[in-house]
Amino acid sequence: MIQLFNVYKTFGSKNPALIDVSLKINKGEFVFITGPSGAGKTTLLKIIFCAEKPTSGHALVNGRNLNRIKDRELSLLRRRIGVVFQDFKLLPGRNVFENVALSLEIMGVPLSMIRKKAHQTLRYLGLAKKEDYYPPQLSGGEQQRVAIARAIINNPLILLADEPTGNLDPDLTMEIMALLREIHSKGTTVIVATHSQELLKDTTRRIVALNKGRIV
Amino acid sequence: MKITFFRYFVRQALANIFKNRLGHLIGVGTMAIAFLIFNTFILVFVNLNHWTKEWGRSMSMSVYFKGEPDRVSLENIKKELLHFHGVTTKRFISKDDAMESLRRRLGEKAGLLDGLKENPLPACLEIILSRDKSGDSLPYQLKTRLEKIDIVDEVQYSQEWISRFQAIMKAIKLIGMVFGGLLFLAALFIITNTIKLTIYARKDEIEILKLVGATNRFVKIPFLIEGAIQGFLGGLIALIVLFLIYIIVISRVDLRVGFASLDIIFLSPQFILFLLIISGIIGFIGSTISLGRFFRI
Ligand SMILES: Nc1ncnc2c1ncn2[C@@H]1O[C@H](COP(=O)(O)OP(=O)(O)OP(=O)(O)O)[C@@H](O)[C@H]1O
Ligand SMILES: [Mg+2]
Repeated sequence: MIQLFNVYKTFGSKNPALIDVSLKINKGEFVFITGPSGAGKTTLLKIIFCAEKPTSGHALVNGRNLNRIKDRELSLLRRRIGVVFQDFKLLPGRNVFENVALSLEIMGVPLSMIRKKAHQTLRYLGLAKKEDYYPPQLSGGEQQRVAIARAIINNPLILLADEPTGNLDPDLTMEIMALLREIHSKGTTVIVATHSQELLKDTTRRIVALNKGRIV
Repeated sequence: MKITFFRYFVRQALANIFKNRLGHLIGVGTMAIAFLIFNTFILVFVNLNHWTKEWGRSMSMSVYFKGEPDRVSLENIKKELLHFHGVTTKRFISKDDAMESLRRRLGEKAGLLDGLKENPLPACLEIILSRDKSGDSLPYQLKTRLEKIDIVDEVQYSQEWISRFQAIMKAIKLIGMVFGGLLFLAALFIITNTIKLTIYARKDEIEILKLVGATNRFVKIPFLIEGAIQGFLGGLIALIVLFLIYIIVISRVDLRVGFASLDIIFLSPQFILFLLIISGIIGFIGSTISLGRFFRI
């Protein structure tokens, strides 16, 4: 499903954010990517959904070489990858419903269908009462759940979650993790980036540890 | 294009305009100014064109006689002229009339003429040729024909005048095109930059749309619709302002050049429609250009 071959990523003249990263993640896996702040976790995820191109090396996602992918193919690929961004990336000018509906709107799904799915997903994440709120009116945890709702609404092949529990209290953290497991159990490949050791304490999942851009 | 997409695009464009009312107002205002300059030029050009056409519509020809023609031969000539299409006789000036008008023109110095034993001025018949109906060779044909009549001394018309007129028309058209083209580019430049500001203000939104898998086209089209709407509104305002200026100021000005009083016309309804469509298209092109730079990455 996802393969990285000797990926390097450098931003300007600074120390590289990723150094010689090779990685294979199979379909249906649940993987944690961990490491201290600045280790390169977010950069690694960005390579996978092609927000950044490797400085050198290759990335293959769902059979596509991201170095050579065309604009249109990339758009189609991204529709199959749900991303929960570390900084959420919600549209402040659209309300919760509209933000979540976005993933379906861009695919041309009929409005009635979008409504149904959006209500369902928001209810699932405990946001049913907040549909008309705008992101700035929400707490950090609520915004995080909206970001998750947007990422999972179209049943993606791959779910990338960057610190999905970073703003949540322990109870909500457990809930979100349970949710991710449930999505995983339906066949989605899930990759969670986190620096929280708490989250990894007694997991049996595969853990990829990064430090200063290298897999350790 | 799927109908759901189309609805989305229009809804999105209108929502964006509504949410960013102030920005759009400024944008439309800027465009209106650019279009006003452009449309003012068009109005001037249309009027120049109109006047030159009016002037060019007719040319006059003078038939000079050897002596004072008697009434019968004069009537015969007039009758003969009726056979030519587009020819009308304007007036007959007898030798005495000619002298009278010369005296009037000389005013105080008219006394100079008293010494003359005999009136040297020829009698003359003035003819108007309508250029719409007559061919280019008619003036020459008419001249040779009339000069064969023995009481006719000479027929004069200005050959240069015709060619000069045609040259003026050509020059006006050329200048109009060059100048109009430059103004068009200037308007496009201003509008492109105006739109770039709106787009720049929403670059985060564009990025997010791209990240969740929207195609370039999906992201761009609402901006293009917005641009077209902005352009159309800007063009509409510019035309309304120009029309008000026309009504309040220009139509009261009495332009006189020689005998001819020049009326200033406004743009025809078809032309107004054309300009409105052009405004919309400029807005659309402006958006396309601004977006093009944005989507390089
Ligand atoms: N767009 C960028 N421009 C310049 N440098 C960048 C950019 N993105 C990341 N970096 C640098 O790359 C390194 C890795 O950043 P990254 O965001 O991947 O870390 P992270 O592991 O996600 O950290 P955190 O746990 O704090 O989110 C950092 O040193 C960061 O400064
Ligand atoms: Mg990070």
